[in-house]
Amino acid sequence: MQDLDFFFALASAPQLLEGLKVTLWLTLWSNVIGLACGFLLALVGVSPIRPLRWLYTCYIEIFRCTPILLQIVWFFFCVPILFNVYWSGEFLGLLILGLNLTAFNAEAYRASIQAIPPAHHDAAVALGLGWRVTAFNVVMPQAARNAMPVLVTNAIGAFQQSALVALVGVADLMYQGKLLSTQTYRPIEAYTSVAVIYLVISVAFGQIAGMIERRNALYR
Amino acid sequence: MPGFDITFVATYWQALLTGLGLTLRFTAICIVSGTVLGLLLALLSQSRSTALRALVRVYVEMIRGVPVLILLFWIFFCLPVVTGLEIGNFASSVLALTLFMGAATCESFRAALHAIPHDQHDACTALGLTTRSRLFDVIIPLTVMRAIPNLLSNTVALFKESSLASAVGTVELMYIGQNIANATARPIEVLTVVGVLYFLVGFTLTRLVSVAERRVLARLAP
Amino acid sequence: MMSSMDSQQGFIEVKDLRKSYGDGLVPVIKGLSLSMTNRDRVVVIGPSGGGKSTLLRCVMGLEQIDGGSVSLEGKAYVKKAEGAKATAIDTAVRSSIGMVFQSYTLFPHLTVMQNLTLAPVKSRGVPKPKATGRAEALLDRFGLRAKANEYPNRLSGGQKQRVAIARALMLDPKLMLFDEVTSALDPELVSEVEQMIIGLADNGLPMMIVTHDMWFARRVATRIVFCADGVIQEDSPPTEFFESPKNQRTRDFIENVLHAR
Repeated sequence: MQDLDFFFALASAPQLLEGLKVTLWLTLWSNVIGLACGFLLALVGVSPIRPLRWLYTCYIEIFRCTPILLQIVWFFFCVPILFNVYWSGEFLGLLILGLNLTAFNAEAYRASIQAIPPAHHDAAVALGLGWRVTAFNVVMPQAARNAMPVLVTNAIGAFQQSALVALVGVADLMYQGKLLSTQTYRPIEAYTSVAVIYLVISVAFGQIAGMIERRNALYR
Repeated sequence: MPGFDITFVATYWQALLTGLGLTLRFTAICIVSGTVLGLLLALLSQSRSTALRALVRVYVEMIRGVPVLILLFWIFFCLPVVTGLEIGNFASSVLALTLFMGAATCESFRAALHAIPHDQHDACTALGLTTRSRLFDVIIPLTVMRAIPNLLSNTVALFKESSLASAVGTVELMYIGQNIANATARPIEVLTVVGVLYFLVGFTLTRLVSVAERRVLARLAP
Repeated sequence: MMSSMDSQQGFIEVKDLRKSYGDGLVPVIKGLSLSMTNRDRVVVIGPSGGGKSTLLRCVMGLEQIDGGSVSLEGKAYVKKAEGAKATAIDTAVRSSIGMVFQSYTLFPHLTVMQNLTLAPVKSRGVPKPKATGRAEALLDRFGLRAKANEYPNRLSGGQKQRVAIARALMLDPKLMLFDEVTSALDPELVSEVEQMIIGLADNGLPMMIVTHDMWFARRVATRIVFCADGVIQEDSPPTEFFESPKNQRTRDFIENVLHAR
């Protein structure tokens, strides 16, 4: 076995850091989209209008029943052709990850909306609040709080799944790791470093989320 | 939109169906190996040895804390260097997905194990069941039964993750689909059909999960 | 049917039993002693947390204890000596004792017949046909034969408990323990289970019962034991217990309970 040289890997840190920046950028913005649009989509999902609910189900099922890699590849190859646009890889990645996250978050929101005791909704109606006010001032805060554990799990999942955009050429952490491995002929140092970075951030994220959740529980 | 002609994909139907068959076969192998591994890990996590329990914990946290892709790449690129064995893309993919599935099913089994009411254990003691009988006639069957809905969801997840095997050159539906798309320069039609194929299987499996959940939980109701 | 046998003193002896939860933090049984003959049906009643279920569980050998012993026919099968690290439980002796619990007792993945034959076949080496025959006879006796091949989720609560009792009887126990077996049942289903236990009692099976049902206690008991604060406060035959209790604490409890009825 060739001698491991982690100091060499350390020297390549700037390259990995560049990739990490892209990964975090993708994770952050796809979560922004996922959290916001997920909630809006969930509202569609609980609407009393049957065709709307059907559309919701279609959207959800497409994203839930197909591999995310396929979604990414399809998006990357087909969207530029279909819509005649030339967006950067990062932007395309951001969009598809965001759309995917929207589907899973919507289900989480929907479950928590439906778990809100009907009494709250009735009270809102009795007070004469319009649906918009009800949605954003009564439903959303509670739904968000109830759904938080799942939303956090989804967020960490998005962070890990973002690695897949490396396969379509986006220069994220995984891509830089692969590049480093082929450039230096040191796959072990390169891939292990990348794995450790993902692991540390995922675990840290999970711990922080756990702490916030416990603090939240105290305030109930 | 340039000539969108989905019928031409029909000429490749054989290749695509072969791909689907390969994907299903691959998934089936990993389900079995992953579930066995998961059951083993779940039983180990109940061991009296703190070291063994910690080992299982660390394993599960590590596998769940990294993207599956990294696991796959590490096994494919690094394992040959570390062990001197040439593993090949199929074996690497099976190994990576087995490890992934093992961690997921371990958690499913552990949850099921802990959900067994305390009185059931007491009943085993009161009936004087031997340890062997208690484990194989009561605990394991009950754990497996209660874990089935979760296991089926894990199966759906595995089916979807199988597409990652294409990243190291394993021939399955995703790989074949991409090759055809590149060769014919008509990604929209080809990839859409590939998507539909995945969707049909994925959707069916997801429905199966709901049905299984209802029936199993009915049987297990007190 | 045990007819000409003299009543055996010291059939069950609980000596100075001590048990706590949480490593000594919460004492539940504090030096409890109790003696039972083989003709006795002892009913243990008392407030929640007073130690009655724990007492039963200790007699069954399900719990680690902090001190004292439990003996069957002179053999101490649960004991903890001073300075010993763990409770010594003799499983051979323990196998002569059967117990039925409050809920979730039947194995949901096995049919009624499989539930009944599992322990005899797998742990006692009884040949399957013999065990099946015995099981059928028991089910016949208790009117449950029709349910032999059903899974527990298709049985009513009362039927499940009766099957659970039959399952314990398959092992020919010398002593039966019943831990609040009707407490989780709908009121209409309580009677069928109590009738079954009364039938067993009339046939001479020694038993120890924890129950909230005072009518049942009066009917089936030879002695009623009031267990509160981890010790036995009163121990008398049923009539004496309810009509002239010696202990003030007992009096208060009976007042409350009979009032609630």
